[in-house]
Amino acid sequence: MAERPEDLNLPNAVITRIIKEALPDGVNISKEARSAISRAASVFVLYATSCANNFAMKGKRKTLNAGDVLSAMEEMEFQRFIAPLKESLEVYRREQKGKKEARKDKDRKADSEEQDKSREDDNDDDDERMEEEEQNDEEEVDN
Amino acid sequence: MAAAGPEAAAAAEDAGGSGAGPCAGAARGARLPLARVKALVKADPDVSLASQEAVFVLARAAELFVETIAKDAYVYAQQGKRKTLQRKDLDNAIEAVDEFAFLEGTLD
Repeated sequence: MAERPEDLNLPNAVITRIIKEALPDGVNISKEARSAISRAASVFVLYATSCANNFAMKGKRKTLNAGDVLSAMEEMEFQRFIAPLKESLEVYRREQKGKKEARKDKDRKADSEEQDKSREDDNDDDDERMEEEEQNDEEEVDN
Repeated sequence: MAAAGPEAAAAAEDAGGSGAGPCAGAARGARLPLARVKALVKADPDVSLASQEAVFVLARAAELFVETIAKDAYVYAQQGKRKTLQRKDLDNAIEAVDEFAFLEGTLD
């Protein structure tokens, strides 16, 4: 079953909600228009990805990062997105950091309950953290 | 009508993320699931790795894009004195707005 990339649709309910929030109360959207906007959003992601990847390659990096996506927005003439995206990214980073701290604290608590505190080895914690970072920040995209 | 079923299921699937408050923008509001966005990123054969942050920013950008194009299309519905956004409003917006040129020929 060959699926074209543009057929990878984003969830209708979320798309509809975003549209309704953007428009005045009482405005409706036809199914065809909603479907077309959803498809357009998929195409947007594909195009932005390709654009961002060019920046990653220019920087001789194999991993597409947030900066590449922001550069892509500039390239695609969606500069007005850049400020709100940076803001959202900051919030996201804080959320992710909070999650990591919570996990680390939970692990530390578990460890101290098992081991004698005087024998706690800080090096182990560091290695564990690095492993977690690798898992969280980079996901291998198999092609 | 079978429409209620899939829609409800999709809504349940999406319910996890958002607080759906009236905050105009920064990080709250409807959230596109990162897994679906990542699937789109993976579809590009030239992309080997993408950071989680990159996927997040793409998802957020897509949300902003949907807002933008809906508003631009609505201008045409208003011109036609309609309160329902139709496919032709979208086509008009795509033709009129330079930034949407990349969409031409892709929505059929």
